[in-house]
Amino acid sequence: MRIGLEVHLQLPTRSKLFCSCPTNGDAPNTSVCPTCLGLPGSKPVLNRKALELGIMIAKFLDCRINDRIWFSRKTYFYPDLPKHFQITQYESPVGNDGHYEHEGKRIGIWRVHIEEDPGRIKRVGRSGEEVSLIDYNRSGIPLVEIVTAPDLESPEQARAFIDQLVTELRYLVGINVQDETSVRVDANLSIGEERVEVKNVQGLKNLERALRYEATRQTKVLDAGKRIVRETRRYDEERKITLPAREKEFEEDYGYIGEPDLGEYHIGQWARETVLKETPFARAERMSAELDIPRQTARQVVLTSGSLADLLEKLCKEVPSEKALQWLLGPISSNWGALEKVIDADGGACVIDIVKADASGSITDSEAKIRLQKCAGVKSEGTPACASNPDMISMVNSFLDAHPEVVKDLRNNAKAANSVIGHVMKETKGQYSSKDIVECVKKEISKRV
Amino acid sequence: MTPKVDIEAMRRTNERFEPFCEMISVVPDEDHEFTFSAKDNLCAKGFQARAGSRILEGYRPPFDATPIWKMRAAGGLLLGKTNMDEFGFGTFSTNSGYGIPKNPFDPTRACGGSSGGAACAAALLPGHVALGVSTGGSISCPSSFCGVIGMTPTYGRVSRYGLIDYGNSLDKVGLISRSISDIERFLPVISGSDPKDPTSCCQPRLDLSKVRKGPMAVPKECLEGLTPDVARTFDDAVQTLKEGGTEVDVVSMPSLKYAMPAYYVLATTEASTNLARYCGMRFGVAEREYAQHFNDFFSKTRSESFGDEAKRRILLGTFCRMVGFRDKYYLKALSVRQGITKEYLDVFKDHSMVLSPTMPFIAPKFDEIASMRPLEMYSADFLTIPPNLTGLPHISLPCGYHSGMPIGMQAVAPHWEEGTLIDLGKRWGTTFAYKVPEACQ
Repeated sequence: MRIGLEVHLQLPTRSKLFCSCPTNGDAPNTSVCPTCLGLPGSKPVLNRKALELGIMIAKFLDCRINDRIWFSRKTYFYPDLPKHFQITQYESPVGNDGHYEHEGKRIGIWRVHIEEDPGRIKRVGRSGEEVSLIDYNRSGIPLVEIVTAPDLESPEQARAFIDQLVTELRYLVGINVQDETSVRVDANLSIGEERVEVKNVQGLKNLERALRYEATRQTKVLDAGKRIVRETRRYDEERKITLPAREKEFEEDYGYIGEPDLGEYHIGQWARETVLKETPFARAERMSAELDIPRQTARQVVLTSGSLADLLEKLCKEVPSEKALQWLLGPISSNWGALEKVIDADGGACVIDIVKADASGSITDSEAKIRLQKCAGVKSEGTPACASNPDMISMVNSFLDAHPEVVKDLRNNAKAANSVIGHVMKETKGQYSSKDIVECVKKEISKRV
Repeated sequence: MTPKVDIEAMRRTNERFEPFCEMISVVPDEDHEFTFSAKDNLCAKGFQARAGSRILEGYRPPFDATPIWKMRAAGGLLLGKTNMDEFGFGTFSTNSGYGIPKNPFDPTRACGGSSGGAACAAALLPGHVALGVSTGGSISCPSSFCGVIGMTPTYGRVSRYGLIDYGNSLDKVGLISRSISDIERFLPVISGSDPKDPTSCCQPRLDLSKVRKGPMAVPKECLEGLTPDVARTFDDAVQTLKEGGTEVDVVSMPSLKYAMPAYYVLATTEASTNLARYCGMRFGVAEREYAQHFNDFFSKTRSESFGDEAKRRILLGTFCRMVGFRDKYYLKALSVRQGITKEYLDVFKDHSMVLSPTMPFIAPKFDEIASMRPLEMYSADFLTIPPNLTGLPHISLPCGYHSGMPIGMQAVAPHWEEGTLIDLGKRWGTTFAYKVPEACQ
């Protein structure tokens, strides 16, 4: 099975792609102007930020950046498209021929380009008396379109790929996918020779369903000895099936021409000077290799928070990875809500000191934990303990008094101290480290000889 | 000083010659320093903007085109919107949905197009400057036919924000007036980069004091296909220039003959996308039969409201950009355009300007136009199209009269060198006797 995707995502800019209207328009048709309404005489002016984000995404996907780019008019008649042409990129997109590693598989990226979104059509009214309303707030919102090679092998993989990609882009450029339905995808799927395109699928769940349906449908066609017809289909969300696209809705000739109002942009230099932030999956790969920690754990840490990952990297410079992870996934994670601010403020110095002290054995586990809570501003119960604490000594002694068999055992077998440790831990709710308890037991036993 | 505006006289003039498709009915109270008009495809608050098309009936733009805004800011009173061929599609201003302007020198003849109303108003109203627009010669042609001066600046010199598009890579806003000093005065007013039109933003500053020296070039290809009266009048004008000390060389520019087909491919291709938005839904004429498929809804409005020439150009332009034809026509035309530009630049190495007649004949009578085929009409523009296709600034100056009708000559300068053209206009004005139409004497 071969699946290729065209993924459309909204670029997080404050204003639209070709005018200064805000992208966060609320009430219908309030964030509009002559340009995004296509009024006669209006002209587009390119949003520099949108191009910058497009360049970053193309670069991130290892595309060849085209030095000279321009926009094109894709002409078709539809009520939500004010000019009846969409300004998009055709011959010269921002980037071509990239690739992306997904779960060890190299997914080819054919192109990355930017384009404007049309308006939104809403059907309202009772069945049989429905009318269409059009909201042009969305008209002119900047989109990035990412086109992959048909390198994906299953509907699940297609979904996981987009999911991972969106996560990466959220970190890279701040792409904001409020819910999974805001991803719009056109997908190509072929089981045999001929491919079928499923257009305008909204959301990842629907994408996976549409592709599964389509795979099953094509398999049945082939099993029945028939041939797959090359066609464009659409996904019916209600019935959860794909259907041939009505009319020639998608098969028309768009008659692309260059957008003469915008001219050309030379972006080579700009692209070369653009430095990309490390994205989470790339970071997880690197951390997994550098710190010698499991990939899944690295991902979990990185995806939880960038500053948690920063902290892990810092900790690993001071203490063994194992110790660092034990702290990070344990007490640090459980106090993360309160700790995050502190760590952002002091660069993690406070926490690193505690973990270092713990690793060197100069403080007990429980003391370390109490200090951590203090650091996080959480009120702790009890007071710091140390090996010479009289409470522990009396507790150990009364236990030894009550359990002569343990005392006897201890003379031959050091492991017998475990029962004492268990008791003290239980009684003190873990205030003392096992090491301290063992020392205390040794000391008290020696007194009894 | 506020110049007096005689609304009654304007109205009488308009009844007879129809330069305006809409004009003010009362003079506003505010002071103004000069009056001007704007071609109907320039958006202006307070007026409809219909670009000569029925499909924009009733459309009132919510903003001023940048050139209009600048003229108003400089103290101009906008008298009205001038008549034009629908969306600029024509050579005689006979393709208008709102009346046909008549030639100021002979009302049985056309004004030329597509800025016919603008040239007509400039010829008839005293002290008037008209904003015109040229895509393939729409300033030069009517200026020549109406005996006035038409200045088409370099592409990108004047912001197109608020200009209703015909061919975006070709459209230029310019000036038409009886007097070269008005052109000298107002060209700096309307020029300059405008962040609302990116194609205006890479221009060097307008410097009218910069004047090119050297001989003028007359391409021999521009002397073919002229009527004898135009040929003779142009010859005399060249003679006058030579006597005045200007060297004039005849040169060969063989690629000029490809300008017309390349122009019609590019202009109609762009136009066919620009006109896609007119569908009776968001502005202009309103189709009320909502209970039909949107394709039928759009088709009905467009069939009823576009004129024949608009439909012809939409079909031609759509054809040229379809898969299978796109490379052969659209992309080919783009490369032809580059070839012609290069030929001009080669000539400019040794010459200050390129000179030719503006139109191959004098303003035709309306009944002659009625019997012309579209291709004949398109061919009439063969002298004005080359500088327009290449975005070069050019000026049309009256250079003689035949049977009482004006004849124009057109000078073309290198990009951004409008100063050279205005200098020529000023020098020419010292030796040439302009005639004023009888109607305004």
